[in-house]
Parts: sequence; C-alpha cells; structure tokens
Amino acid sequence: MNPEPFLNLDRVIHEKGRMAIMSLLAATPEMSFTELRDTLSMTDGNITTHIKTLQQAGYVGVTKSVQNNRPLTTCSLTTAGRAAFKDYVELLEQIVQQTKSQI
Amino acid sequence: MNGDWAAQNLQTIRTLMERAALYRRALAPIMIAVGCIGLAAAILGWKLGVVAPRTFILYWLVVAVIACAVAFFLVRRQAIQAGELVWSPPAKRVVHAAIPALAAGLAISLIVTWVLPHLPTEPTNLAALLGMLWLPLGWIILYGCALHAAGFFLPRGMRIFGWAFISGGCLLLANGLPHFDPAMYAHGIMGLFFGLFHQAYGVYLYLTEQKDVAA
Repeated sequence: MNPEPFLNLDRVIHEKGRMAIMSLLAATPEMSFTELRDTLSMTDGNITTHIKTLQQAGYVGVTKSVQNNRPLTTCSLTTAGRAAFKDYVELLEQIVQQTKSQI
Repeated sequence: MNGDWAAQNLQTIRTLMERAALYRRALAPIMIAVGCIGLAAAILGWKLGVVAPRTFILYWLVVAVIACAVAFFLVRRQAIQAGELVWSPPAKRVVHAAIPALAAGLAISLIVTWVLPHLPTEPTNLAALLGMLWLPLGWIILYGCALHAAGFFLPRGMRIFGWAFISGGCLLLANGLPHFDPAMYAHGIMGLFFGLFHQAYGVYLYLTEQKDVAA
C-alpha cells in the first residue's frame, strides 16, 4: 500500500476536534463560537485551544462584534483553510480507495 | 495499513457538514404562537363578519404579516439569548427555500383582489367562489410547498408537516363546494390549517424536544 497519502495528511486538521470544527465551518460561511461549542459539545477551553491552533495555521478567521449589546464571536474558514480542508478530504478519499482496491 | 479510520473520518465530516446546514432554533414556541394567532384570527374573522371576498383576503394578509412578525421576534430573541447570529446561514437557507411559494401565494392574492370587483356576482357568485373558497385552499397548498422546501434545512418532520397542508388542501379542493355558508367555511379551514395544525405540531415538537433534552 502506498503510504504517501497518509504521510501528506495535514497534521493541523488531522485531529478529532479540529477536523470537526473545520467540517462545520466548511459547510457554512460563518458560525458563532457558541454554535460551534454547542454543536460539538466541547468545553469553552477546549474549543478555544483548537480555534487558536487553526487560527495560527491561517485556516480560521475570528471576528468579534457586538449584537444587541452582547459580544458575538464568529469564526469562518479562510481561503487557505478551505483549500487545506479540500486537500485533506481528497487524501482521505484516496486512502479509502487504496484500501478498497486491496480487498 | 487499514483505511477504515479514513472512511470513518469522511463519514464524520459528512455528518457534521449536514448538521451545520440545519436550522437549530427551537420551533415549538414559534409553531404554538403562530397556531394561536391563526385560530384567534379565524374566530375573530367570523365574529366580526369578515364575509366580503376582498375584505377576507386583506384581513388574512394582515394576519399573515402579524404571524411573520411574531415568528421573527421569537427567532431573534432565541438567537440573542444563545449568543448566536440572528440572520445565520441556516436561517437564510430556510427563508430562501420558503420564499418562492410564499411569494406566489402573495402574488395570486393581489391579482385576485384586483380582479374581484370586475367579476360577475350572478348566477354563480364567482367572486365568493374565487376569493373565499379557492384562494384559501391555494394559500394552504402553497404554504405546504413552502414548509416542505424549508424542511430540507429544518429537522424533525417539517417536510411531513408540509405534506399535511398540501394533501389537505388538495383533498378539500377535490371535495368541491361546501353545503353551508362560504364565509364560515373559509374562516373554518383557515383556522383548522393555520391554527390547529400549527398548534398540534408545536405541541408535538415541544414534547419531543423535552425528551431529547432528557436523553
């Protein structure tokens, strides 16, 4: 089996929590911090750490605003993040195909 | 090297992406509030004697505006309390899906309102037939289409609820003319569909949402 697709998997995305955040953000133009937290049933600390990692990688943009006198934090994928996620999914598909062809 | 984990990751990604596209605000209070407005409007319309076809159409258009305003207020309040966007991407999808059928209903209503004074009143009283019998059934069917389209972005049986409107409206249309007062019939079916149906669905949602929380 060719190990190349596995070796090329983006290590930033290839973590359960971050992959989940990227999946949600890939399906929608933007999502609030609380929506992400509630949908994934994560703690505030956990999700903040993952978002910070994704932000440092340049995959996620964070915008802070005020809605009805309450702070609102929204997250969205950057162009680089969308491209990295697309590559990640394509590599997963390659791995699945390779496994199928071996059976 | 086993690729099962890759297939599982892809499945997880797919599930999460589908979930992100769904509208997640609690629909039970919205349905119950809209149902109460529908039922109250039907009773009030009958008691106030809203029996002229044009008045009937304008009366129910005002009721629709009030119901939309109340629904928007409830959605906005929920979003603000949860610290989420009011005009979120799933909310936009729901509105965009529902708009064509609702816009068609509004356009037909305006056309019928404009046409009514030019119709003959004898021998069949076409104005009453069009304005108070066929148009409400058209509203019910088109509203069902709107619910069904929006249901692709809403959980919990919204598409089946849409089908209940579509099939109910078609059945009544096929059933032909009522054997009693057209005004009573028109307000009655509006109260049944836009009042009682919404209330029943709202209660169902409320009970099942409570179960989900308990689970």
